[in-house]
Amino acid sequence: MIDFKESYEKKLSKDFKKKGYLIFNTNDTASLNYLRDKIVSSIERTCNLNHKKNKSKEEFLNTFHKKIKKHNLNNHRLKIINLINKDRKFKEKYFHSAKKLLYTIVGNELSMQTRINLSIQTPKDNSSLLPVHSDIWSGDSPFEVVVWIPLVNCYKTKAMYILPPNEYKKVEKNFSKYSGNSSKEFFSKIKKKVKWIHIDFGQILIFNQALPHGNVVNFEKETRWSMNCRFKSIFSPYGDKKIGEFFEPITLKVASELALKYKLPQIDEKS
Amino acid sequence: MKKVRGYMFSRNFMGERVPQHIQNQVIRNFCFQNNFQYMLSAVEYSMSNSSLILNQIFNETKNLDGIGFYSLFQLPKKEEARYKFLKKIVNKKKFAFFAVEDFILSSSKDIEKIETIWLIKKILPKCLEAKDFKNV
Repeated sequence: MIDFKESYEKKLSKDFKKKGYLIFNTNDTASLNYLRDKIVSSIERTCNLNHKKNKSKEEFLNTFHKKIKKHNLNNHRLKIINLINKDRKFKEKYFHSAKKLLYTIVGNELSMQTRINLSIQTPKDNSSLLPVHSDIWSGDSPFEVVVWIPLVNCYKTKAMYILPPNEYKKVEKNFSKYSGNSSKEFFSKIKKKVKWIHIDFGQILIFNQALPHGNVVNFEKETRWSMNCRFKSIFSPYGDKKIGEFFEPITLKVASELALKYKLPQIDEKS
Repeated sequence: MKKVRGYMFSRNFMGERVPQHIQNQVIRNFCFQNNFQYMLSAVEYSMSNSSLILNQIFNETKNLDGIGFYSLFQLPKKEEARYKFLKKIVNKKKFAFFAVEDFILSSSKDIEKIETIWLIKKILPKCLEAKDFKNV
């Protein structure tokens, strides 16, 4: 196949294909800070907490579990999600944090998920688990990628895991043997092969959601805060998550805009 | 509290079919979440291209604040009719919401967004499918 990509694009594409993900330092720190500041102010508003200015935002988020009651966690999460998604700038800043790599990995005419998801995983909490899964198995299009942004440093069980492509190939060939009767059984068979992501605030993870991934109970001493959002090329095939209801165009180019509105001239039959 | 009349379909729209009681639940739920007063839903005639019920609801809007659609793909199919309808809503300082898309129309800028999504949705069946890429 002809490939006119530049050498840096070829390198990134090769890495993405080989590892199933890429981690990079954002080149738009201002946007990333905006996202974290908005989350912190939303926590203050919804949980009646005060971020003491002499303490870092990182510490405020990491120690969140010490400040709230466990049974209120999901309620807080939903309220914060609503607040961030009501903020008109939030989505744009999210996109800008990852724009450069999205243009290389996905394309420059993009659709973005309409609502950004937020994960809060307090230590030892088993109510926010995401068992091993591939997003494609639940109706996403294989043309999508996930941009995962941590608001705190994430490591070991405070992070997420992903099954590398070479290991996934073995699973794909013999799926029933691996999957067994439950996702728990499936995970037990792949847990030694998965890659635990180590990522710090300031970095962005972009991963291939077709690969099995998930999380386990957070056994570290800090709360994990991360956001995730899907992106795809506007004109590539959609899965169960459609344009309008789940995705919206965010970088439609002028040639496409003109083409979408183009109408052939009408010929009057009498003339 | 703003008064909203629901609007549902009894026919397919853009290849989708949703039972009416489900459309009703989704509209009612959207009203509840956004603190709107829900005034039951009117069902569009099943003849293709009919917008007769929609027009009737619009004529009643002096007693209403807005119209609650299940989906934005239930708007009139013809571009001109759709634009005219949306423009009338904005000009009369009313609003329309589209529950599935979680979107509220209240300004001219919103009309542009709706139109773009409509046009992309219409063109997608003509775009390459996953299997086509394998032949490239």
